[in-house]
Amino acid sequence: MDAFDLDVRRVVYSRVVADGRPPTVGEVAVELGRDDEDIAAAYRRLHDAHALVLFPDTLDIWMANPFCFAPTPHRVTVGGRTWTGTCAWDALGIPAALHADGHVETECACCGERLVLEVVNGELTRGADLLVHFVVPARRWWDDIGFT
Amino acid sequence: MVYLRSEVHVKTWLDANGYEFGATFPATTMNALAKRWWSLRLDLDWRPRPLEESQSILDEVGLTGGFWQLG
Repeated sequence: MDAFDLDVRRVVYSRVVADGRPPTVGEVAVELGRDDEDIAAAYRRLHDAHALVLFPDTLDIWMANPFCFAPTPHRVTVGGRTWTGTCAWDALGIPAALHADGHVETECACCGERLVLEVVNGELTRGADLLVHFVVPARRWWDDIGFT
Repeated sequence: MVYLRSEVHVKTWLDANGYEFGATFPATTMNALAKRWWSLRLDLDWRPRPLEESQSILDEVGLTGGFWQLG
């Protein structure tokens, strides 16, 4: 991953935090003063390197983990702003990435009951009695990241 | 990677979806892993993490054994 790709990635994450959504290729191109084609190529390389996830056959960002831009059951509020977490892991990853307290609203995958987790000073102060299940073993996480 | 209320709900969910049992652990472990895994994600000097380092993070929170081998 070269310096340019890291710059593109940095702009993507900064826009996700600031705007709550990922930037388009054109928006990053304007910010970095580069052509759309350069940014598109960087998006594809970052996807291939698992540093971003694009929706299939598009240049639209699906995941900038732990942030997700498709509906999931995991809604994460930090500092009065709400993002979507990709999965159980990423839901708690958002307060961790932002180094702030967080409120996670999610659901039991089995029965759909609303579940709440709270992170305060890095510790889980609510939801500690809940369980997490991983179906996919670690070596296969990226075989189908949407399912994982 | 989902949240479930109890071991009973884990089994019911696996059976209902035809999934093989993978790994279940407490949400507290999930939070410990999330803190270690994601805390540097927004750093301006972020670089891809070597696989060995990621494996060490899993080890640190007790996620060891074949299921947790990254490569």
